[in-house]
Amino acid sequence: MDFILQLFNDPVAFYQTHTLLIAEIGINSILAVSMFVVLYSGQLSLAAPGFMAIGAYTSVLMGNYWNTPLPLNLLVGTLFAGVVGLAVGLPVLRVRGVFLAIATIGFIEALSLGVILNLPITGEGLGLKNPTADPIGGINIVLGSVAVIVFVLWRLTKGRLGRAWEAIRQDELAALSQGIDVGRYKLIAFILSALIAGFAGGLESHLNFFVDPTEYGVTRTVQVLTFAVLGGSGNVFGPVVGALFLTTLPEIVRVPNFDYRDVISGAILILVIVFRPQGIVGRGGLAIIRPRWWPKARSAASPG
Amino acid sequence: MLLRLDNLQRHFGGVKAVDGVSLEVEKGSIHGLIGPNGAGKTTLVNVITGYVRTQAGQAWLEGDRLTGLPAHRIAGLGVARTFQNIRLFGDLSALENVMIGMHTRLGDDTVAQLATLPFFRRDQRAHLNDAHRLMETVGLDPGDVGRRAAGQLPYGDQRRLEIARALALRPRLLILDEPAAGMNPSEKQGVRELIERLNADGLTILLIDHDMRLVMGVCRRVSVLNFGRKIADGEPHEVSTDPGVIKAYLGSGAEKEAVSAPGTTEVREVERATRRSARRGAEPEEAILDVQKMWVSYGAINAVRGVSLRVAAGEVVALIGANGAGKSTILNALSGLVPIAGGTAVFDGLDLTNAKPSTIVRRGLVQVPEGREILGRQTVLENLELATWPRRDRAAAQRETEAVMRRFPILGERRQLRASTLSGGERQLLAIARGLLAKPRLLLLDEPSLGLAPQMVDEVFSAIGEIHRDGTTILLVEQNALRALEIADRAYVLETGQVQLTGGGQDLLHDPAVRQAYLGG
Repeated sequence: MDFILQLFNDPVAFYQTHTLLIAEIGINSILAVSMFVVLYSGQLSLAAPGFMAIGAYTSVLMGNYWNTPLPLNLLVGTLFAGVVGLAVGLPVLRVRGVFLAIATIGFIEALSLGVILNLPITGEGLGLKNPTADPIGGINIVLGSVAVIVFVLWRLTKGRLGRAWEAIRQDELAALSQGIDVGRYKLIAFILSALIAGFAGGLESHLNFFVDPTEYGVTRTVQVLTFAVLGGSGNVFGPVVGALFLTTLPEIVRVPNFDYRDVISGAILILVIVFRPQGIVGRGGLAIIRPRWWPKARSAASPG
Repeated sequence: MLLRLDNLQRHFGGVKAVDGVSLEVEKGSIHGLIGPNGAGKTTLVNVITGYVRTQAGQAWLEGDRLTGLPAHRIAGLGVARTFQNIRLFGDLSALENVMIGMHTRLGDDTVAQLATLPFFRRDQRAHLNDAHRLMETVGLDPGDVGRRAAGQLPYGDQRRLEIARALALRPRLLILDEPAAGMNPSEKQGVRELIERLNADGLTILLIDHDMRLVMGVCRRVSVLNFGRKIADGEPHEVSTDPGVIKAYLGSGAEKEAVSAPGTTEVREVERATRRSARRGAEPEEAILDVQKMWVSYGAINAVRGVSLRVAAGEVVALIGANGAGKSTILNALSGLVPIAGGTAVFDGLDLTNAKPSTIVRRGLVQVPEGREILGRQTVLENLELATWPRRDRAAAQRETEAVMRRFPILGERRQLRASTLSGGERQLLAIARGLLAKPRLLLLDEPSLGLAPQMVDEVFSAIGEIHRDGTTILLVEQNALRALEIADRAYVLETGQVQLTGGGQDLLHDPAVRQAYLGG
């Protein structure tokens, strides 16, 4: 409770004491947007941590070996993740639904077990030191990029591209009948998602002095997917709210001598899924919270 | 000619869904495409629109070759379609659905979106106005209906919205796949007026529908498909009197009725006819199944509207009628697979309106579903054993399984083969055999002849006759009306969810009203 009280009583002090938490919220929000892009176009891709790893390792290695400036490192890491996204997306997007999920999990595992843990340059299982990290100063870049990325995606979903994605998500066959090149738009979403995840990975590595190879596994994927499920993926703000909520929750329920924070987080998640399956921010915002099994007003259509 | 099909071919395994179809659709016309269930109409549409690749032949839209292009490019060339089972973007608003239809006409606006440039807003408004106009064209109020989620609209409005979305492509050819399916007469009239209005504005339309009154009423030319082949092509009145077409719709034997002079009927048939006509066509006093004023709805569609029927022990009763008349729905409702919305249905003292499917089966009401639903990867024997699985007395179950395989020797011979290797007719026999093993007191057969070659139809029907002689009561749903009437004691003729006609099987066999129910007036 102290946590919330402080937020309202003394925002400046709150910001200073919780900078790391706020940065974490920011990174998670960017990841949530990356997940949003694929879900919005109807693809259950769980590849985000893989692209994060690519962004993180690329930018840290560049900094360590060539002493290049951070913006360049981030840019190259992001683009590299995008290129890998293209290479992975071309074959992988032939499968749909849970099969796509499994294929992308395969990609994550292959990348971490097959590549990262076996290359001397990545430090193998030991991870990678990042002496130039700046945990406190990095927060400005984080907050700035969250704003830009959320804005860009919000605008994109309002236009022709976003409508095409929505059409594909709802019904691929019907989308084809409207002249939408389904394969192309799915690939665009997949690559965009990879770029955003790669950027988030690079940025996150800048906040830590150490790149830990175990951070980019299936656990991370589940976490990111949960942001979208909890917040709702009908618009870009849903997953961001989900990220904000789930990242902050452990702090809110932090009570002395009470060690069941994960239980409470889990219970809240289940409640949301049961009572608001479309997510916190569904169509129509936070409007009415009504469970699905609640009887609807009966239509007059049924005959007597 | 706007659309020209040249010897198109598409087979699925051994099934010739589209078998060498050539067709020409004149520019500015309304062209009808009809044929019985499973004739290959929708597959043909899927081939034209690129959803299914053709294996031979070509399709041309004026100078543009459609064959080999992906579906979205064919749509981009101006071939718009609607779907038999509506495929709207259900969560999006009606207006958004129409806006998506404009996809190919709009330039990429990504940059303008990011900058939210003023000219983009102007563009957006123009498109919105365009979408409003399209909705008005199909008779939907953009102000009210436009903002609602497409999936929440009443059924008739969804059909109209799908047409508006197709029009947003500014199509050269509009393909309507059963636009009036499931509609009531006044809604159908509305669709008919809409089609005529669109055509008057110069749009070429390829219309597929089962409602003959609609097709014969609006089309300049009609092509008829059966078993993937084009069997007739011409003006509506030519097609509706074509013996081949009548045969395709009413089943084998129909052409005998249509073309042969009285008195040439074989002796056996005369005998049978006289034997049957001795029976009364009236409903029985004592019934094992008693349905009164039953209603069944799928969402906003009332598929069955106040149907009453009775079946007495030992009878064969047929439900006949054109596609979409509600026949299969009645069986599914009786089996407890779809809820009964109103009226009563009692089987042997069991109230079917709120009984669980498993209870209904245990009481002895067993359905052999349309499409057979056998387990292709299991052997014939395993499929049969599935039906006896819940029984305690294994010895008796095995005896019965053996008995069933003696009755259908083909199943006995193939007991160790995978069911997927059976032909369509053999699968049907297997499904019926499986139904028999559930010890039915009333067997519901749903379209047992669907998609079968004529000689296989004979085999299936003689099997049904034998089962009946053994004392099983049968309620039979069949499109092949004449075959069904031949073996039925009584029949109910359904049209748009209501019983139009009832009587003895032989009486209906000669009743011109039956033909009218199928082929229109």
